[in-house]
Amino acid sequence: MNSNRVAAAAIIAIAAALFALTFGFERLPEGITRGFGAEVFPRLVLGVIIALAALLAFTAGKPDPLPRIPPMVGISGASLLAFMALLPVLGMLPAMFVFLVGLGWLWRERRPWVLFLSSVLLTAAIWAVFVRGFGVQLPKGLFA
Amino acid sequence: MEAFLGGMGLLLDPKILLVVFAGTLIGIVVGALPGISGSTTTALLLPFTITMGPVPAIALLGSIYCAANFGGSITAILVNAPGDPSASATAFDGYPMAVKGEAGRALGMSAVASAIGGIFSVVVLIVAAPLLARAAYHFGPPEYFALAIFGLSMVALSGGDSAVKNLIAGAFGVLIATVGQDITTGVERYTFGIYSFSDGIEFIPVLIGLFALTELLEQAAQLGKKTLVARLGAVRLPSWQDIKDCSKAIGLSSVLGTFIGILPALGATTAAVIAYVETKRWSKNKAEFGKGAIEGVAGPEAANNAAVGGAMVPTLALGIPGSTTTAIILAGLIVQGVRPGPHLFTEQPLLLYAVFSSMLLANLLYLALGLGFAKVFARVSLIPAPLLWPAVFVLSVIGAYAPNQAMAEVWVAIAFGFIGFFMRRYGFSPAPLVIGLVLGKMVEETLKQSLLIFDLNWSGFLGRPIALTLFGLAALFLLGPFLLQKLRGRS
Repeated sequence: MNSNRVAAAAIIAIAAALFALTFGFERLPEGITRGFGAEVFPRLVLGVIIALAALLAFTAGKPDPLPRIPPMVGISGASLLAFMALLPVLGMLPAMFVFLVGLGWLWRERRPWVLFLSSVLLTAAIWAVFVRGFGVQLPKGLFA
Repeated sequence: MEAFLGGMGLLLDPKILLVVFAGTLIGIVVGALPGISGSTTTALLLPFTITMGPVPAIALLGSIYCAANFGGSITAILVNAPGDPSASATAFDGYPMAVKGEAGRALGMSAVASAIGGIFSVVVLIVAAPLLARAAYHFGPPEYFALAIFGLSMVALSGGDSAVKNLIAGAFGVLIATVGQDITTGVERYTFGIYSFSDGIEFIPVLIGLFALTELLEQAAQLGKKTLVARLGAVRLPSWQDIKDCSKAIGLSSVLGTFIGILPALGATTAAVIAYVETKRWSKNKAEFGKGAIEGVAGPEAANNAAVGGAMVPTLALGIPGSTTTAIILAGLIVQGVRPGPHLFTEQPLLLYAVFSSMLLANLLYLALGLGFAKVFARVSLIPAPLLWPAVFVLSVIGAYAPNQAMAEVWVAIAFGFIGFFMRRYGFSPAPLVIGLVLGKMVEETLKQSLLIFDLNWSGFLGRPIALTLFGLAALFLLGPFLLQKLRGRS
């Protein structure tokens, strides 16, 4: 299937959904909006997007078929989400340490001491700069 | 003149000197890392500049921007993998030179040409930006609206697969800028009940997601690819004969690069590629190109660094970003409470001249650092991906979280990481989206103000000659590529 047409169809669907959402924006009297309500500009932009996506669909040549996404992309993407799931449980700094070791291992770094040392150093540096230096309150975990 | 001297005087401030030195060093190092570009770094470091104050913040981001283009040439020459996209044309001849054992000569020429191009463009910036600002001083909302539309029309030419895709991405950027409370009515738009979206989607997490996290996913796709590293040899200054041979290429490319940089949305990468083609066209040694011609290194390097100063001209004078990185720098200025534009020249001239002087200093610094320590910087490219990219993620998380201490912004960064990955997969460049996002508020505000002035009558724009000219130019840039394609098809 032509990937440009797939992209155009997805864009039109997203834009149409966003257009529909503008009908849910709060309506104010004409005296306040002075003829230019909060929904007007987004609708204008979405109209342009839909027109451009239609142009893309009709003028698109046949591009080369898209290469398969390597499994490691999916694994890495999932690990970002796993970090977010782990964060409320462990807290930000421990979750960062686990992530650094975990993704490094998944990306085939097989020297445990290198992984451990670099992860400890980076986590400690973040603690020193942000928590001690800037006074940033990082999210704490269930066990803190 | 007083402001200029004041700006130069700021360079005597040890804090500013340290910031420019650090920015130059960071710029070269990250420029040398394949995958981490100047825009990724400025996006990542943007949150760290919030506490700095406007002058050091912009001096830091500006010097990173200047130095990253040069840093990119180190890996382009040694590994044939440009550290920064703007160095891609440098690899055409830089890598063959390295293979022939002339890596040092290529790196030396890259440093010299980059510095000449960079300094030339900063001089143009110092002269042209105030003139442009003066011309724009009496612009009203209709002219600014037309200017923003002109800037957006230029995204048609910036990266990506096609002009239509760039325009779609740019329009989505404008749409994202509408999230949050409407400025005139206070009505919430696309906030989905999330409190932190009420003030709009912050620039920082979007930029971090689109550049750093998207790149992480791209790198995951390329794991295990081996690159051949050429031997560096001693880095030495190019000979006087080399400089004489390349003077035409450096001169031509500095002018071309500055001009291309000034055009909104076109950045260093476009400048370098065009300069490479033009250098080859005007060279006596055309046959050498692609096989290790030193002019093939000098031309693109002078151009991509010249584009830096050029891109700052519309950014500072008009508030219209000249490239992706200047869009991020513009976001940095806005975060600092500074709105770039003509009034900046009368209200905060010291800030501007501090930016100019720190950029000049950065160009001199990377010349010295590049010639002295290229061998050390080249080692940076050997940091293993399994250590580098997880670290980039962790820094992205803290960068997105720290400014407002809000987890919602980390989610935004991650979401835009995935969005950027799929955008690139389908041939959409994230750069137009960033430019659209930065210009979005200005487009809506000025359109509303214009329509109020015209009593909601769109034909009011017809009575504004400057706005009409800018609309005409925008139409030319939008339709030009299609018309050219048709004409070529006929002939």
